Amino acid sequence: MIGYILRRLLIAIPVLIGVLVVVFLLLRLVPGEPCTAILGERASPEACERFNAANGLNEPVYVQLAIYAGSAITGDFGESIRFSRPVSQIIIERLPVTLELAGAALTAAVVVGIPLGIAAARRHNTGVDVAAMTFANVGVSMPIFWLGLLLAYLFAVVLLGTPLALPPSGTLSPGSRPLPFFEVWGVELSDGFLANLAEFVSNMTITNTLISAQWSIFWDGVRHMILPAVTLATIPIAIIARMTRSSLLDVLGREYIRTARAKGAGERRVIRRHALRNAMLPVVTIIGLQLGGLLGGAVLTETVFGLAGVGTALFEAITARDFPIIQGFTFVIAATYVIVNLLVDISYGYLDPRVRLE
Amino acid sequence: MKRMRWLALVAVLALVAAACGDTEGGDDTTTTADGGPTTTAATDGTTTSVDAETPFEGLALDSGGCDYGGKIASIEATAETEVVFTLCSEDPAFLAKLAFIPFAVQPAEHLEATGGSPLENPVGTGPFVLDEWSRGSEIVYSANQDYWGEVPAFDTLVFRWRDSSTARITELTSGNADFITNLAASDYATIEGDANLQLLVDENPNVFYVGFNNLFPPFDDVRVRQAIAMGVDRQRIIDTFYPEGSAVADYFTPCIIENACEGEPFYEFDPEGARALLAEAGFPDGFETTIKLRDVFRVYLPEPVAVAEDIRAQLAENLGIEAEVIVMESGAFIEENASGQQEGIHLLGWGADYPHVTNFLDFHFGGGNPQFGEMSPDIVDTLAEGARTVDPAAAQPIYEQANNLIREFVPMFPVAWGAAADAALATVENAAVAPVGAPQFATMNPGDGDFVFVQNAEPISLFCADETDGESLSACEQALEGLYGYGPNGEVIPKLATECAPDDTGLVWTCALREGVTFHDGSTFDANDVVTSWSVGLDASHPLHVGNTGAFEYFSYLWGALINAE
Repeated sequence: MIGYILRRLLIAIPVLIGVLVVVFLLLRLVPGEPCTAILGERASPEACERFNAANGLNEPVYVQLAIYAGSAITGDFGESIRFSRPVSQIIIERLPVTLELAGAALTAAVVVGIPLGIAAARRHNTGVDVAAMTFANVGVSMPIFWLGLLLAYLFAVVLLGTPLALPPSGTLSPGSRPLPFFEVWGVELSDGFLANLAEFVSNMTITNTLISAQWSIFWDGVRHMILPAVTLATIPIAIIARMTRSSLLDVLGREYIRTARAKGAGERRVIRRHALRNAMLPVVTIIGLQLGGLLGGAVLTETVFGLAGVGTALFEAITARDFPIIQGFTFVIAATYVIVNLLVDISYGYLDPRVRLE
Repeated sequence: MKRMRWLALVAVLALVAAACGDTEGGDDTTTTADGGPTTTAATDGTTTSVDAETPFEGLALDSGGCDYGGKIASIEATAETEVVFTLCSEDPAFLAKLAFIPFAVQPAEHLEATGGSPLENPVGTGPFVLDEWSRGSEIVYSANQDYWGEVPAFDTLVFRWRDSSTARITELTSGNADFITNLAASDYATIEGDANLQLLVDENPNVFYVGFNNLFPPFDDVRVRQAIAMGVDRQRIIDTFYPEGSAVADYFTPCIIENACEGEPFYEFDPEGARALLAEAGFPDGFETTIKLRDVFRVYLPEPVAVAEDIRAQLAENLGIEAEVIVMESGAFIEENASGQQEGIHLLGWGADYPHVTNFLDFHFGGGNPQFGEMSPDIVDTLAEGARTVDPAAAQPIYEQANNLIREFVPMFPVAWGAAADAALATVENAAVAPVGAPQFATMNPGDGDFVFVQNAEPISLFCADETDGESLSACEQALEGLYGYGPNGEVIPKLATECAPDDTGLVWTCALREGVTFHDGSTFDANDVVTSWSVGLDASHPLHVGNTGAFEYFSYLWGALINAE
């Protein structure tokens, strides 16, 4: 197993280098100069010359690439052109928001999608099946931004003043500021990996307030998370439900299931013990892919709900031609995909002992 | 013997004390020989200027002459409460520019402490004190209880941001925000139809124009340019594409600006007269050309492509001109336009940097801008005369002549003065939008609780000396002030100066500073803070000339050039 993991990690290296190089080169092909995007359209040629020199943008592309690659290998993604701040610092601020959102959405997708798929498979060709699959089809074809705006309007405006009202944006109410968990715990952290990790975790609003028992802010955070998580979960719910249903239907038609039934096993036991585990293999693959998709694809949800995550950071950076941020965040998303795929592969061995990872 | 020893000990101690010059404390004091400033070095290593006992030692920024190409020769702190600006040439817009927020003043010590880069922690004198900037989420300010002017009526101001008009309206209607900015024109009706909300029309000075480069035929013939100006029904464009409050632009510069609307208004819609002119120029059946634009929303041009298509249709219908609409990437469009390489017709506009007629006319028609090809020397000379005339009354006939000359030469024809709108909860008292600068929240009152404002985007930084985006400037304006500022009607009003007055030559402006003003960090505002703040922005060789991008674009753009720039 360890050898397998190491081999996969080694394979990931050229993949990530490829991502880095392709993104770097593609950005240089995009029309529009960082200078006018950042200094404004009235920036003089002299000002742009100084700006480009200060940011190394007047070097040949291959020199820029070599400098960037050399830094990126050491984990240094450079400084944002627009904010003059280290990209790694911005990742520490933004990635936790997206991770928490994606985690909440994926949890909702699994908790709702799998039972929905099971129910549809167990009651194949009944009203339950039709209703579940209609829901799934509507969900998978629903434009996220439209659903988000609709939910925000419904829960924040129409239901305003009722117990069902929910905030339309942000991670917390205006002016609400939680303390980092380590400050609540009275732990002093100096600079370094642990301090960065602690800051990273404290930027996950719900996790931070949960582990530091800041209950009023925690519930405020949960209320703010509901609408974006539901919006982001809609498509994964639909996909997981459909995959669970079809995979389970396939397994339920196998002979060993008939044997189990013939031996007198109850339907619940047949599903749980014999069918579901075997049907889970493709579902787990889909869940893994969805997690990667949620991290990279939260742009619309974050934009609609005004969340300061990876998606909005990327969107703003693309608009402003802030190359270091685009490169840094794309690299992180690609690395996440690689890691999630690795975890999915490893889970195969657990779910199906016939799969030999060696 | 014992008594003698005690006497000797006392004598030695007295001598040591005398040598130290201080028998009370442990400080080490030096006094300058010329009676200059006395600096006390405390035992904790800090230094404190003893102002009360010594004359003020003023700082100065000297460009060493005007050969560097900029407009400022020197800035000198001549007294604690007096700063003298010496210009390279007269500048009637001096005060209007001075009021722009990039030229706000921060304490010299704070600029030093932050290495010339107070991006997230500016220290100002404004009505609000920055409490915290939670990156990505919000900026929180509290009312400055020591403000030299009227203290805000509420305690907490929160800045948030959403990039779509619909999302901002949801924030407002859900009670999550008290005030939102930049409504889409299609949302005006929503706001006006809701009794809980108020629509606030923003008369920000701007202009949308149709331009020609006269180096490319057939636009080298003034009759062609004039024919097109007369052949487009501008009222139809306003009625179809512009929101409430917009108007047909009879002049290039909006009339809210002094001396803007002197002289003859631009040509009325006259298709017959236009066809006759075109025939006279040798194009009785029209010709083929292009209409170039960028598809970027601006208040002066809210629907670029739709407006371009309408102009194309009008040219074909009224003048027989067949135009192809070409939508270009914004940067490429500006580059081609600004370099004088753009053939055909182009659609562009202008929003005021500062409320003065020179900001509109001089940039476009002052002779240094190749976007219209070769400018008429008469226009260039007249505008140069206007730029030397500090007295607005004396400038009035000059701008009357300039506007008439521009009308005759037709380097472009102005189409629209676009209006924008903000919105607020009906419960917000004194809600208004100033035509220039950011909303002035200090004069409003949300009634209860915090005041939450939602704008388009997050500020890039809060060191606005080195920022150009409106969102950053808007956030800076709440906490920072310059010598002058903009009033509720766009007028230029004194802030940290009580008055800046020119001498007879119009080259030397003496600014009397407001006394008793303290910064948010408790330090006292004085003339050296003004000189240091300006030096950091204007002098490229200053050790604190760091900022965010390091470009200090508005210092360079509005004052001609940076001093000591390589």
